[in-house]
Amino acid sequence: MANEPPGVIGKGIAIRGNLSGEGDLIIEGTVEGEISLKNHLTIEETGVVRADIKSERLTIRGEMSGNIEASDRVAIQANARVTSDIKAPVVVIEDGARFKGKVDMDVELPDGIL
Amino acid sequence: MANVIGKSIVIDGEISGDEDLVVQGTVKGKIMLKESLLVESSGTVEADIQTQNVEISGAVTGDIQAFSKVEIKSDGRVVGNIKAPRILIADGAKFKGNVDMDR
Repeated sequence: MANEPPGVIGKGIAIRGNLSGEGDLIIEGTVEGEISLKNHLTIEETGVVRADIKSERLTIRGEMSGNIEASDRVAIQANARVTSDIKAPVVVIEDGARFKGKVDMDVELPDGIL
Repeated sequence: MANVIGKSIVIDGEISGDEDLVVQGTVKGKIMLKESLLVESSGTVEADIQTQNVEISGAVTGDIQAFSKVEIKSDGRVVGNIKAPRILIADGAKFKGNVDMDR
């Protein structure tokens, strides 16, 4: 599965509804609704996603709003514009990214604090 | 000449000033600075923070407001809400709370 080339939703494509499946997926177009993907989802700079997303890994370079739940990691890259509540073990926000919302990683604090 | 709160120092109260501050020890209460705050990996801060810049490699609980930038480095652990025009979270950092980048 991991060796298959990623699926691509190109610039001229708009999807409204539920999207689910396995394998890697790259979104360059527009998706509204719900996305549930087993593997790696990438929202490219031209991509616009208004959806709740569940995936293993998520990389955002475009525009995204909705809730995110990732089992591995979420990377919000420099030109991304994201409004979301995120739950994931690893969340990376790069300099230049626009983000608004909640981040929930499991945080272990030293003893004696809170 | 950096201001340093060393590893064996515990402060319970309010810190304010217009110079950079490095925290290697423990601060509880409130920190208000016109310049930058650096919480090193040995540092523990349980305080609301209001500064120009914050760079965190240690542990912070509390709300953070920065006028320029908040940076959570890969060793940093933060629980609280962050409000700043620029917010960076490095790979490996742990964070729980709200992020507000409105300008």
